[in-house]
Amino acid sequence: MSESEAGGLLKELDTTLDRAKDLLTTLSNRQDDAGLDEESAARIRDLEVRLDARDRDREELTTRLVEAEHQLGRLMNLYVATFQLHATLDPTEVQATIAEIAVDLLGAERFALLLREEGSQDCEIALARGLENDNSGLYEGDRYSGGDPLVDAALDDGVLRMGPDEFSEVIAAVPLRVQDAIVGVLVVLKLFDHKSILRAEDRDLLDLLAAHAASALFAARVYSNTDRKLRTLESLVQLVRST
Amino acid sequence: MHCVDTQEDEVQPRKILVVDDSKLIHKMFEVLLRQFSLIHAHDGIEALQCLGNHADIDLILLDINMPRMSGLEFLNQVKADQAFQEIPVVIISTEGKEEDTIRGLEAGAAAYIKKPFGNQELLEVIQRL
Repeated sequence: MSESEAGGLLKELDTTLDRAKDLLTTLSNRQDDAGLDEESAARIRDLEVRLDARDRDREELTTRLVEAEHQLGRLMNLYVATFQLHATLDPTEVQATIAEIAVDLLGAERFALLLREEGSQDCEIALARGLENDNSGLYEGDRYSGGDPLVDAALDDGVLRMGPDEFSEVIAAVPLRVQDAIVGVLVVLKLFDHKSILRAEDRDLLDLLAAHAASALFAARVYSNTDRKLRTLESLVQLVRST
Repeated sequence: MHCVDTQEDEVQPRKILVVDDSKLIHKMFEVLLRQFSLIHAHDGIEALQCLGNHADIDLILLDINMPRMSGLEFLNQVKADQAFQEIPVVIISTEGKEEDTIRGLEAGAAAYIKKPFGNQELLEVIQRL
């Protein structure tokens, strides 16, 4: 049963219950006016009790439908985000997907994807948006060398940090993992003005990014490098054959 | 008595043109609006071509910030063309300031939804239109 069908059925149930209430009110009024016998009066009382019970059922169903719709929305976002992250082996497209998740699903106006450089504690800024309006000075020159306590802590222990706090303006620092290694962090610096806070469903998305974004990006980079090497080797083989 | 055949709406899915440069959004609409027939375009120019190729589009879901031709430029062209001006357009954009909403509605959009949006919010707007 689809959401709209369930919603339609609930509306129908509402209408039916309202009609039943009207009928009972009419019956009660007649009982008062005409003085019905004891058996009819007892039946009306029984009907009233049953109607109250159905009313409570209806309220519970409505609450559960709203919860189900909410849950469905969360699951759909997670499904779509995961699908898109792993839908390509092109590193540029994977980065674009991470940006789209940050912007379109999380509502991030300003963010940076930091990837650890090999043999260094510094991070390369692999992807960013809105950093031209950042006044912290920590994300200049395409690299991050540390300085924000939430970002540094997330890079250090791999635990998602939510802010801002008195020492950091970062809204979320999402550690990115490939297997057990922390390879970077997604830093959300500002949300759109019409998106006031990150909600519980956004936390799910942040967890998903922590688990999938880096592995999708690294898989794409490895594939891209391997593919490039393969093409070079093929060209060499052709060259050798032709000479 | 005047009869309305609501069955026809259920049998014939509404045709919706989705105009957005985000592949993620296209995928999301594929999942969320699976009961509708969707046509996909990734910028305003592509969307104009789609309008020319599909005469029976019932609704347009339109992003604002896109390469080549923005959503507002596309909307202005649609509203200036007698063949398409009656098609309702819903803007779905990250541009969330009040003046952005007013600009979109004044350009002829039937509704303005801010990203990120709730699924129910979008479905209600589509049902209303």
